[in-house]
Amino acid sequence: MIEVRGISKRFDDNEVLTDISLTINDGEVVAIIGPSGSGKSTLLRCINYLEPPDKGKVLIDGELAYRDVKGNELSKAKIASTRSTVGMVFQHFDLFPHMTVLDNVCSGPRFVSKLDKAECQQRAKDLLERVGVAEKQNQYPGQLSGGQQQRVAIARSLAMEPAAILFDEPTSSLDPELVGEVLSVMRQLVDDGMTMAVVTHEMGFVRQVADRVIFMDYGKIIEEGTPEELFTNPQHERTRAFLSAILSHTERTKPEPTSDPQTVVEKPSYPIVLP
Amino acid sequence: MFFNPELALDALSTLSLGLLVTVLLTLACGFTSLILGLFVAFARMSRFWLLRNVVNGYVQLMRSTPLLIQLIYIYFALPFIGIRLDPFLAAYVGLSLHVSAYLAEVYRGGIEAVPKGQTDAAAALGMRPSVIMARVVLPQAIRIVIPSLSNYMVSLFKDTSLAAVITVQELLFRGQIFAARTYDYFTIYTLVFAMYFAIGYPAIRLVTYIEKKLKRGYTAKLAEKPARDIPVMEETK
Repeated sequence: MIEVRGISKRFDDNEVLTDISLTINDGEVVAIIGPSGSGKSTLLRCINYLEPPDKGKVLIDGELAYRDVKGNELSKAKIASTRSTVGMVFQHFDLFPHMTVLDNVCSGPRFVSKLDKAECQQRAKDLLERVGVAEKQNQYPGQLSGGQQQRVAIARSLAMEPAAILFDEPTSSLDPELVGEVLSVMRQLVDDGMTMAVVTHEMGFVRQVADRVIFMDYGKIIEEGTPEELFTNPQHERTRAFLSAILSHTERTKPEPTSDPQTVVEKPSYPIVLP
Repeated sequence: MFFNPELALDALSTLSLGLLVTVLLTLACGFTSLILGLFVAFARMSRFWLLRNVVNGYVQLMRSTPLLIQLIYIYFALPFIGIRLDPFLAAYVGLSLHVSAYLAEVYRGGIEAVPKGQTDAAAALGMRPSVIMARVVLPQAIRIVIPSLSNYMVSLFKDTSLAAVITVQELLFRGQIFAARTYDYFTIYTLVFAMYFAIGYPAIRLVTYIEKKLKRGYTAKLAEKPARDIPVMEETK
């Protein structure tokens, strides 16, 4: 179980997260949606301390992670070992380009858990099988398509047998025809009962698999609920505006004029495709 | 005929010995500074203020003064404070210190050029900072800086000629002695020139080759690809 309590983060003058609290229960799939710049990715990065929050704390399985009660940073070794229990998948895959696919998947078990090579490789092969890129094991990441790379990245993160995985826009840098293969691997994980936090713009996926959806804007959680509640009956104006913009885009129909056009105009990261 | 082949033949044995010294000096300094430079780079990125600044001072000192003066200082000035080095050792120390300072900057640039996503991904897996450096950042950084490093090695080879000033018996120094004795500067220096070229030219060709080769990116061994892919890839380049 991951608990985030009162996290704030600012970059220079820009307050990216304001007093965010959030709980992700075991086996739960939480989708985090919102316009770009709303702090979704930063929130994920705070959960595994890639971004140290300015205020607030993170608890993993009821224990304070990364910092002690007084707020002092724990040792690098302690932080690293906590991180190894929470996997992360990045927008740009960030596979290690100098290692083969197999070595990428092995990298965690070998360099963190110090398992022996044969054991790691067996585990890695099984995982590559599971995500459907077994035949690419001796290639380098640069020789794979984006979708294959992202599936390898998921396998790499699974190799550490994490209790939860954070997905930071896992399909956003993929060509449209490659999105499906990554989502189907993620769906598999959901079926296996993996605890997941997913920052995404794939609303269809969210609707299908998320237990809970969190809508963020301006560094705050504006609204949360089941996909059903949030998509069919959003309570807040901003949620409505965002959803109408993004859903109309996704469904390739002309967007409904929103009552708050600013939301659409100011955040041009969702190009609205006119017929 | 300005060039005297007989004299050249005469000079060849002593000049070859000189070339040997030149090459030895290059290899010794090259080896030392490739390693020392990396440590200097780490020291410059250290979180310890004192270490960082002391090493920074050393790098700036080496980069802002002429190598020739550094060699002269080590060989002629340091004996006055009790540090007496024989010529070869003085040249070895001077060149190594000088080149290490430059290589440290190269290494640092390479390390900083590795995308942040790489360290993030490694950290997210639970790797500790030292492991991230050794397994993820450094292997990529080294690859980035290899062309630069090899260029510096070629420069080092040429710069060893400055050691003649502090009486190291390398190629130029032996040439000078021989020329002064026979007064045939043209023949001797042509020969010296040619001998530097004989080593230097293949070396820069090698550097170019390495640069080209590394530009291709990381690929699986060619044998693992279907054979017909290879000529196609060459054509498109």
